Amino acid sequence: MSEDMSIESYLAAGGILTNPSNVPPRYRAELMKLMATFVDSELAGAAGFADIINAGPGIKERISAAKIVLEKTDNADRVLRIMGEFGANTDKYANHHPWTARLDRDAPAGTERAEQDMRLAVFNYPLDGWVDAVVMNLLMGRAVAVQMGEFSMVSYQPLAEAFRAIAPVEARHAELAEEGVAKLAEGDNKAALQAAVGYWWPRVAGSFGSTSSIKADTLKAMGLRKSTNAELKARWEAETKAILEKFGLTAA
Amino acid sequence: MARFHDLTVTDVHKTIRDAVVVTLQPVNGAAEEFDFTQGQYLTFRQDFDGEELRRSYSICAGKNDGVLQVGIKRVDGGAFSTWANEDLKVGDTLQAMPPMGGFFSALDAGNEKNYLGFAGGSGITPVLSILKTTLAAEPNSTFTLVYANKGVNTIMFREELEDLKNTYMGRFNTIHILESDAQEIDLFTGLVTEEKCAELFQSWIDIKNIDMAFICGPEPMMLGIAAALRSAGLDDAQIKFELFASSQPGRAKRKAVSKGGASNANQASASITLDGSTQTINMPKDISILDAALENKMDAPYACKAGVCSTCRCKVLEGEVEMVANHALEDYEVEKGYVLSCQSFAVTDNVVVDFDQ
Repeated sequence: MSEDMSIESYLAAGGILTNPSNVPPRYRAELMKLMATFVDSELAGAAGFADIINAGPGIKERISAAKIVLEKTDNADRVLRIMGEFGANTDKYANHHPWTARLDRDAPAGTERAEQDMRLAVFNYPLDGWVDAVVMNLLMGRAVAVQMGEFSMVSYQPLAEAFRAIAPVEARHAELAEEGVAKLAEGDNKAALQAAVGYWWPRVAGSFGSTSSIKADTLKAMGLRKSTNAELKARWEAETKAILEKFGLTAA
Repeated sequence: MARFHDLTVTDVHKTIRDAVVVTLQPVNGAAEEFDFTQGQYLTFRQDFDGEELRRSYSICAGKNDGVLQVGIKRVDGGAFSTWANEDLKVGDTLQAMPPMGGFFSALDAGNEKNYLGFAGGSGITPVLSILKTTLAAEPNSTFTLVYANKGVNTIMFREELEDLKNTYMGRFNTIHILESDAQEIDLFTGLVTEEKCAELFQSWIDIKNIDMAFICGPEPMMLGIAAALRSAGLDDAQIKFELFASSQPGRAKRKAVSKGGASNANQASASITLDGSTQTINMPKDISILDAALENKMDAPYACKAGVCSTCRCKVLEGEVEMVANHALEDYEVEKGYVLSCQSFAVTDNVVVDFDQ
């Protein structure tokens, strides 16, 4: 049996890696970045959403919000455990950044916080009340659904499996948000909903990253990406616009 | 983080000329931590000439066997596997981390599933653990094993597989594919390629009724089988892989230590290799190697910047750096010259670091 295939050509041909001992150094680094981005975003997202639980107009809404906080924290834990298998200190990691820290609501795009972490930039912006939080959760929830579809196919099997388990949980969060928007749309909240869409749409769109990423080919060869940022963003825009239209809302 | 535990070797026996099965007994109350799931592996560490090597080997025992056993095939030039095959004896102590890996699916006595396993050479070890456990735990499930080897005399666990066939008559079936030894059926000679699998699926394996497939073998074989399984309609969640790169290095090279004189004011010259290209930059000694690389438009990897996650790991090839915090790298990695670049500052006037190693 021929055994003289390099890991690089194995990956380029769609090969799957299964444990820390067989990942090449650069692959390891890109994989760790991908995982850190997810973990930091989930922890920052959950921390931001925790403050909104009490703003829920009724018990059902507060339960939904609390469930989202719990499950996003749990999802962060799943992926952080895989980082732990690569040597990350998981106990320290969970507390090494102030996950509740945010910029000013009006901070211009591209502003960086003094203490940086790997969260997607959209999680640097503060929520402004219940309506705003529900809309943000809908738009971001749809973006996560698109990204989960992509990342459930990564070439590192333990992570792909984690994402396949996480995907339906995250999908449920987007459904809860959609139910929340539906309920708000029945009342006298149209202007507030539209204002929130206007605020969050460009920020969530930005979370797909630069449309001209030079990294794309490298990541593709490693099996860590299949689609380009632009393709993922286009998918999200089409799906999410259709949902907003149901409620008479328009994307910015 | 996982810790190493002592294990006593209670049995060593050959399964073929150049492969041993090692039975291990956890000591110091670590038994619970070694309660494995079928298909998992152990990572061992062992000193060779003062340098620590780590190697992972799959557990070959089934859950119901009541023992902890790994199979170790000798690899040409492989320090650990040669040592295990030639020098390891009953009574020796090995150090291993608790079982790891996700090469398994959940079992349920009520399942009526059809499993398909592919193993190439020593890739049989985790697959053997899975099939033994599955057949015992799910009385209504079947398991078909496609087992690729060079020739008859390199088949690990041949007799044990025969015994299992008799024990689980009608539920367990093995197809041996031999690279060089001719067999009665032409299809069973050669390599297990995508085409070979497609032919097996036509007549020998009822692929439409397979619920889950396990593959463990060398890279080209895994690719071919996975492609054939996908064409036959299995999705990614139904295909489990286990790969132990055949290119695990035998013996790591020692770091070249250059005793360059320290302290040329605050400036150092750093050669940084990343993605195959090397840049030499001048950097102040009070900014980290990572920040210096980033400031020079190099796309160096990092995540936490707090010495916690290990994403920014690189290797120091020459010169000396001071790592001010380290919550992620272990001693053996540090001894090999790895540092967390976000926490490392040049001490000597020249440093050479590599993110590609």
